[in-house]
Amino acid sequence: MDLLGSILLVFIGLGGGLAVGSGFVAFLTVLDIVPRLTVFSRGRRYVRSYEWAFVAGALAATWVDLRDWSAAFSPLGTVPVGFLAGCFVGLLAAALTEVINVLPILAKRLQMQKFVLYLLMAMVFGKILGSLFQWIWFIA
Amino acid sequence: MGTDLVYLQLKKRVKARVGEILLLRDLAQLLTGEDHEDLGYLPILRLGKDQGSHMVVDVMDVLRKIRQQYPDVEVRSVGPLQTIIEVEAVYKVPSGVLVALVWLLLFVGSALAIMNFHTDVSMKAVHERIYYLITGEHNSKPLLLQIPYSIGIGLGMVLFFNHLFKRKFNDEPSPLELEVFLYQENIDQFVIDHEKSKDRGDRNGPSG
Repeated sequence: MDLLGSILLVFIGLGGGLAVGSGFVAFLTVLDIVPRLTVFSRGRRYVRSYEWAFVAGALAATWVDLRDWSAAFSPLGTVPVGFLAGCFVGLLAAALTEVINVLPILAKRLQMQKFVLYLLMAMVFGKILGSLFQWIWFIA
Repeated sequence: MGTDLVYLQLKKRVKARVGEILLLRDLAQLLTGEDHEDLGYLPILRLGKDQGSHMVVDVMDVLRKIRQQYPDVEVRSVGPLQTIIEVEAVYKVPSGVLVALVWLLLFVGSALAIMNFHTDVSMKAVHERIYYLITGEHNSKPLLLQIPYSIGIGLGMVLFFNHLFKRKFNDEPSPLELEVFLYQENIDQFVIDHEKSKDRGDRNGPSG
């Protein structure tokens, strides 16, 4: 491969990565997940380090995935990973507008303001069981 | 003359029933001198049947009524310029069956939505990939990863809405409470603007 082609490849790769990375961060920012999590850790001081957690996670996963590395942990090692990944997707799903905008309006229209919590739990259990169903039975 | 000065602050929202006569003290907080403590019992309006579910009382209407009855009182209005009267319909409490129905609807819809999401982002392939990256083995059904993942989804949602740990961590409102509040505020603002323009239209337009 000639030098020019290499330079071009590096340039394209860098550009693509920039676009994807900034889009990824913008997505996370729009959904307000970090502010929600700072509520639990009681500290806005650590927001900076949370940003680095995003960057480090994305970078590590990209590297490991593209290099096709694999570790040799026991299958039980996937349990905490799956759990944390699920929590994150749960945060995403809750932050998406479907839940946050639908529930108040629906509750008001049907005059069920008192039951908003139950309705929320319906969505939570729906997500859990829908997901379990998909992995255990739905996929042949 | 100093005691003739009355401060009036309209309430933002008032709930009332059809046919009820609303007194000034129902609509507003008053700060009066001893001479005018009866001012609070001044009737302002009667809720007719055809009012619809919301009605807006403007501060000017209230002032006009006061001036008719008590021409020598000087009123200073502070605070909101309108009161929204929410007409309480005599609605029945939603039955358990209805709540259960909506519950099921949300349950099934939510389940469907998460499955659509997983298919959308090829979550199955990602899970298999993660499983391979960690264990070095291929597994087309990495349930050890996927079952905790599914439970985690529920936990993440609960975390987002700040339920379980509400008292433990702090008393910030949850996003859902905020959203309910904003929705109500929007409705109020709409009602104020809408009712105003409706009134103006009625007055100017031909009657009938």
